[in-house]
Amino acid sequence: MPSSLVWIVTIAYLAALLLEVTRIYFRSQLRGAALVGLVMGGLATHTLLIGYRWVGLGRDPFSSNFDWCLSVAWALAGVYLYLTLYHPQNPIGIFTLPLVLLLMLAAATVASQEPFAQSQEARILATMHGLSLLLGTVVVFLGLATGVMYLVLAFWMRRKHRPPRLLRLPSLEWLQRMTQRCLLLALVCLSLGFVTGLVLSQLRHGYINWADRVVWTTTLLMVWLAAVAVFILLYRPARQGRKVAYLTLASFLFLLVALVAVFSTPGHIGGQGAGERPGSPSRVGMAMPGESLPEGSLR
Amino acid sequence: MIHLVGCSHHNTPVELRERLAFSPQTAQAALARFREEFPQVEAVVLSTCNRVEFYTAAETPEELLSHRQMGEFLARFHRLDAEGVLEQLFRRSGQEAVMHLFMVAAGLDSMVVGEPQIRAQVKQAYDLACRCETAGPITHAVFQAALKAARRVSNETTIHRKRLSVPSVAVAEFAKQIFERFDDKQLLVIGAGEMAEETLRYATDEGARHITVVNRSRERAEQLARRWQGQARPWEELLEALAQADMVISTTGAPEPIVRLEDFRRIEARRYQRPLLVLDLAIPRDFDPAIGDCLGVYLFSVDDLQEVCRQNLRERQQELPAAIEILKEETAAFMAELNRRATGPIIRRLRQNWQQIKDEELRRLFNKLSHLDPRSRQEIEYAFHRLLNKLLHPPLESLRDHAQEGVPHGLLDALRKLFQLPD
Repeated sequence: MPSSLVWIVTIAYLAALLLEVTRIYFRSQLRGAALVGLVMGGLATHTLLIGYRWVGLGRDPFSSNFDWCLSVAWALAGVYLYLTLYHPQNPIGIFTLPLVLLLMLAAATVASQEPFAQSQEARILATMHGLSLLLGTVVVFLGLATGVMYLVLAFWMRRKHRPPRLLRLPSLEWLQRMTQRCLLLALVCLSLGFVTGLVLSQLRHGYINWADRVVWTTTLLMVWLAAVAVFILLYRPARQGRKVAYLTLASFLFLLVALVAVFSTPGHIGGQGAGERPGSPSRVGMAMPGESLPEGSLR
Repeated sequence: MIHLVGCSHHNTPVELRERLAFSPQTAQAALARFREEFPQVEAVVLSTCNRVEFYTAAETPEELLSHRQMGEFLARFHRLDAEGVLEQLFRRSGQEAVMHLFMVAAGLDSMVVGEPQIRAQVKQAYDLACRCETAGPITHAVFQAALKAARRVSNETTIHRKRLSVPSVAVAEFAKQIFERFDDKQLLVIGAGEMAEETLRYATDEGARHITVVNRSRERAEQLARRWQGQARPWEELLEALAQADMVISTTGAPEPIVRLEDFRRIEARRYQRPLLVLDLAIPRDFDPAIGDCLGVYLFSVDDLQEVCRQNLRERQQELPAAIEILKEETAAFMAELNRRATGPIIRRLRQNWQQIKDEELRRLFNKLSHLDPRSRQEIEYAFHRLLNKLLHPPLESLRDHAQEGVPHGLLDALRKLFQLPD
């Protein structure tokens, strides 16, 4: 059932995206209702899927890469639904739904990976770690969508072109505010996730392996976010206009690198349930809550 | 039946339109005089800056005024030469007059195609006729149908949504794409001309509250600022005001740019690249075009905005066939309804006559057959009723069919004579 539910959810979001794209070509009074219906249906099925895995199979949103991707996609789809109801005239889905579909695709790609081995030690800290990473990822994805919308609209306006009538975007002011908020929230959430990850690793294994690619890509992301924070704090124009959008775009790229490193590292996360090489180095940045390593391994 | 005579920007010079135009007071006086002279005839006067139209209607062709009589009435009222006026007036009757009114109400006959104000003017003309008691069943029906048709065009096409004036395009199409709200923005007006005021009107409609006016003539700046609850600043403080502004409306008549790139550079750092929308509506331009390349600045000149106005006009014209199609549908439906209504009295009289005959025959029959039980009486009554309906069905059906194409005066006359129906 979960596999078919994943497909149903993906198809619902894909259909919603196609409906959003039709805005470019014609006006329709029914489209808004159909769009909301599709996304609500998809989101309801998505919730059912996450609920089934959590309650039925005991897999919480942080128990595997698959569940984590599903949860990020679910949160992003929820935000999209809210924005669509709030801005029914704007094709926000054209910029948001591809990211939701990307996450569903990522979930399907890592679906065969083993769940993380559960550990009861430092459970609260681990949950905080997973939750802040999840939230941070959602806001970076959302910031990417609003940042791209900002750049597209600013491009039109700078060239003194009115945006196409059927592709009206929210105002630059609103997009800038959203992008700014996403960037700041991402800064807070990802920093919290990173720090809790460090503490978790230190608690469990007594040291941090900085050479691991997950660790250094995550550290790179944090260094970037810290630089952004300093830049914004010291250079006031960085809080304005296209600079905010570019900063969010770059943050997304750093996050993407870190995520690819997490999902593709052999023996990491997904591989741990099956057991990791004793004594093999592990990483900290994107570790998932409840994740533990076999005895003898150092994280 | 409905008749129309009138003149508009399409076919009449402004000199004659001015002489034939009505103010609300003169229109009221004209309708009052018309009611005295022609108490049986309905009338509505529609007078705007681009047209003067005089609609009359009556239940029968005999009661209706000819176009000539209508033109003569207009000329007499305005004390003009009737022949001269009649030459210039266009004339419409029946379906053509209805379609024309629908086009006018929907703004499709306006100088600026699709302009929405005309609908309110049509409604005012109709309301005035109602108050003067010159509106009747036909004018009620046709004006209400015209307003309904105009609403349909407005809802089902985008013809009214495409703005055509430079100030409205500047605010609705550009300022609203940059700013989410205007009540917390500093609006700087440079110059105190009409264009500045009109743009200010659109901006304040969107919520702009903090208005600063800078003008070479301090007195005029203060007058404008007072009208819009803003503040006036001396010309020397222009750059200072620019440093604080979020949106600028510039409309001076200066022969040279009043803000050059080097001027803007002096205040640029203090703005911290905060977005600045500059609507440079002056010719020659008030802002050096190079300022448009500065970070955070969105600079629009009259040419940029007029290009959008032209696009909107083209888009309106593209919407025109769809709008006309709607009006054709509405006109056809209205005419069918009007014609059906014209056959109503004859149908009613015919039914009444035959019903009377049926009732008399039934009474005679039941007197003779007094032994009948209630059930049998009911059966007989029902049979007579069915017979009556079956006999009436073919002529009424023919009447309705013919009413689709116009009032079937011939058939109505024939029915009147054949069945000796009273007038």
